[in-house]
Parts: sequence; C-alpha cells; structure tokens
Amino acid sequence: MHSEYAIETAGLTKIYRSRWMRREIKAVNDISLRVSRGTIFGLLGPNGAGKTTFVKMLLSAVHPTAGNALIFGHNAQEPAARRAVGYLPENHRFPTYFTGAGMLDFYAALSGVESARRKKLIPELLELVGLPQWGAVRLGKYSKGMLQRLGLAQALIHSPSLLVLDEPTDGVDPVGRRQIRDILTRFEEQGVTVFINSHLLAEVETFCREVAILDKGKVALSGTMAELTAGKGYRLTVAKAPDNLVEDLRARATSLSARDGLIDLQFASRELVNEAVDLARAQHCDIEALIPTTSTLEDVFVRTVQK
Amino acid sequence: MTTAALILDTFREAFARKIFWGLFGLSTVMILFFLFLLRIDLVEGGMATLSLFGRTAESMTDVDRVVRGVYGGIATFLYTWGMFLAVFASAGLIPSVLEPGRIGLLLSKPISRTHILLGRYAGNVLVVSCNIIYLVLGVWIILGIKTRIWSPTFLISIATTIFIFAVLLSVVVLVGVLFESAALATMVTVALMIISPILAQTAIMLRLLSSEWSRQLWRTLYYSLPKVYDVGRMTLDAIQSHTFSGYMPIWTSAVFAVVMMGAALFVFSRRDF
Repeated sequence: MHSEYAIETAGLTKIYRSRWMRREIKAVNDISLRVSRGTIFGLLGPNGAGKTTFVKMLLSAVHPTAGNALIFGHNAQEPAARRAVGYLPENHRFPTYFTGAGMLDFYAALSGVESARRKKLIPELLELVGLPQWGAVRLGKYSKGMLQRLGLAQALIHSPSLLVLDEPTDGVDPVGRRQIRDILTRFEEQGVTVFINSHLLAEVETFCREVAILDKGKVALSGTMAELTAGKGYRLTVAKAPDNLVEDLRARATSLSARDGLIDLQFASRELVNEAVDLARAQHCDIEALIPTTSTLEDVFVRTVQK
Repeated sequence: MTTAALILDTFREAFARKIFWGLFGLSTVMILFFLFLLRIDLVEGGMATLSLFGRTAESMTDVDRVVRGVYGGIATFLYTWGMFLAVFASAGLIPSVLEPGRIGLLLSKPISRTHILLGRYAGNVLVVSCNIIYLVLGVWIILGIKTRIWSPTFLISIATTIFIFAVLLSVVVLVGVLFESAALATMVTVALMIISPILAQTAIMLRLLSSEWSRQLWRTLYYSLPKVYDVGRMTLDAIQSHTFSGYMPIWTSAVFAVVMMGAALFVFSRRDF
C-alpha cells in the first residue's frame, strides 16, 4: 500500500482508566495528524501534553482507545508496519550485559537484518556515531551521551524510512548534539522521514521543517516552521515615560512590560512603532532601544500553551 | 532468526545474572559427588563389591538395586531441590524484559508480542534444560562406566523434569506479565509445588471428606492444577520398577500449561507499556 504520508493518524485517542477508582485521564484526545514523507517533523508540548503516549501508539506499545494510526499506509498495530521504523525511546534501558556491537546485533536481528549484513553494518554504524573503539565494551561502561549515540545507531541499523526519536539529544554534549544533527540531516537528504519528540525548542527550531504543538492531549497548533515563526515586529524600549504616554503606547502595542524604570513595547508594524517613537519624543521621553524582532518558536510555544 | 535472537538474549541474560553458571556449578558438584563417592572394586574384570553412602552391595542383583536406588534419588533430588532452584533462578528473567525503557524498544520491532513472550519462554526453558541434561547425562555416564549397568529409563527424568519445569514456568510467565514481580511469581509457583503432593492423596481424601461439594472441589483442584508430585512419582516408578501408571498427570499438566500461557499471551497482548 502506497501513501504519501509517513505518519497519518485519524481521531487517535487514549484514555487511561484507573482499575478501582473508575477515574479517566484523556492522555491523547482525538489527534488527526499527517507527516509528509521525507520531512523532519517536531512534536512539541509541555510535560503531560500526551507526546510520549502519542509516539507509543504509533509504535503499538500503547493501544489506542479510539481512532487509528497508519505508518506508510499500514496499520501501526501490525508488526509489518514497524519494519520501516527506527525508534530511539526516551529513558531507554539497554541491558548492560550487552557490548555495543552485541546490542546492535540483537536489535538488528529483531528487525530482520541478515547475519552477513549485520556484520558489515555494525562497524560502519559505530563509526558513524563516533564510537568505533567501543564495540567490544559492555554498555555498563558507557556514558549517557554514548548510550544515546549507540541508541541512534540501533535505530538506523535496518535502514528505516521513518525515524522516530524521543528526546534524541538528551544527555549528549554540544559536540555530540551537532554530530547527531549532522547524521539526521544526512538521512533526511536520503529521503528518510524524521519524527522528533523533544522539549528543546531551539533545537527543534533549527532542525525541523514542520511542527505540531500538543497541549492537554490535543494538537493546539501545527504547520511549517516558516509559517509558525513568521510573526515579525519591532521592540521599543523607552525610559521615564509618564502615565498618559504609557496609556497611549499601550493602545498601539501588542504587548507591554516594565522593568527597572524602562518599558518594553512590542509593535506589529513599522507604522505603529514610528507613531510610538513620535509620541515618545514629543513628550521628551528617552528612547533606550528600537530593534526589529521575529517570532521565535519559543514565543509561539508559550503563547500556544498559555492560551 | 528473530526467535533465535530472543532465545540467545535469554541465555546472555542468564549468563550475566550468573543463573546459568550457578545451576551449572551445582550440577557439576553433584556429578563430582558421584564420581568420587561411588567406590567400586573390580576383581579380574568382574565387579566384586560396590559401596555408596556406607552401603555395600556384593551380588550383581544388589548392585543393580543400588544403582536404581541412586538413579531414583537423583531424580527425586531434581524434582524437589533442582526444580526449586530452577524456578527461583528463572523468575526474574520474565519481569526484566518488561522493564520500562526496554519493552518499548522491543515492541517497536517488527515482531508480534506473542513472538516476544514465547521466545523468552523458550529461552528460559532451554537454559534450564541444558543444565538438567548435563546433570542427568553426567551422572548416568559416571554410574554406567563405574557399574557397567546402563539403565536408559533414568534418562526419562530428563524429559519429565524439563516438562514439569516448562509447566511451572508458564505460571511464572503469567504472574510476571500480570504483576511484573519475580518474588510473587516464585511464591505462587512454589505454592503449586507444595500443594501438589497433598492434592495427590485424592483417593484418601475423597474417603475422608464428608460433603459432596468438598469432594467435588478437591477433584477439581486435583485435575486442574499441575501434577508435580504425580509426574515425579511416575518417573521414580519407571526408573526403579519399570512400571507406568498412565498419561493422565502428563496431559492434565500440559493442558494447565497451555491455559496459563494462553492467559499470559492474552494479557501481554492487551497491556500498554
């Protein structure tokens, strides 16, 4: 079955019911989402928004209460659908009795990679993630960042078409993060779809092409990164502003905040900020700063989850 | 390929937790015990006397009886202490695979949940089987060489011991999947082992019980629970007197194991991790 989407969910819902109290928690509430093939998609949300439950439903570790999820057009509950998926879970616990190479060999075998191919791929992947000397070392000796990189190699070993990564740079140092980003970019260029669940907004902003923000189990906002961060404007900082001027400026600004005798004002257009500057100068008010701004993903995120 | 990987993983974990080597060490101690304790005097190529545990057999008939007694003793040892050890050793291997951060990754692979659980179960049975085969074959070969009496019926204990372990392991799997507790799984399984010889006194109990419903309850418990004692008794009879009392304990125990594994697979397939 061919589908133009790597991931497609329709009305995906998960309700957790406590066994005795008959209490219900709607972890994921009617999510319909499409992730195009070959994109890098970021799933964001505050703690408890339902991100991990959503990812687990994609990988059939959690059964949906309602709705369905498709991976490349196949029902995600079917084992065959997961053949195309490489997964790096958050808080993974790889058994420490494995060596690095042994762990890769085990998970590759479970993914259906033939023995001869595994022997060839394992050293290549250890090299790719910067652990070429560590293949024979038991995982108990690995640092958190090394385990994360080995986990990424594990997700890549069967040449998946979809990579699902839960906090992929968690515990990794800045050099390692750059390395992981470079690896993922290389796979994106090869047409692999990358689905990242992360709370590191700056990283998602520099790396992802499309984003969805979950809040209280629902998609609160979604779109391309360019669309979501398109909000431009100007930030004006004034000093010694009398009360009547503050009121005039407030009427034109989109936001206002005060700090240490200074007032920060955000304006949506050049015309509005020019009017504000004229008003301030007419009342002999000092202009401390005037800078053009763009809307960061963090601004968008905070606005979305605080609604 | 995936089944082999799951079984190998169970072996790796059994090695790492020293379970395999613990059982292997105990089996070796047992084999060495017979190797050095059993003293045989050979006179002009024939066996004159055999002594073990202070008992001395002088005729060939006596030797045969002593050897069969030894075989019966080992089979009984395997049935009681060996089985306890195997259950204790294996109980942790099922919940460990269900740990958060480990099961999620396993489930993300293109294999069914049934495959994962059965692979783990098979690996666990094989770990214990290797040790049972090593112990029984080792003792059989030592006694055979020393006494020149080769009693193939002793080898039946390999099959019956592995069978009963597989039956009891199905309980470990179900409790492990339900509660993720190795301690609880051990307790329930050991309780079944302890209750088995009591339930086996069915003929006596049915005479002693006064009401029909209590007799019916006793019969239900006896026929539905695994017959650890009965299968052990069957093995002993086969080794010592070459008698066979019927397949009922085998097939009712097998049905019990199938039901337990079926329930475990059902629960495992429906659980969220």
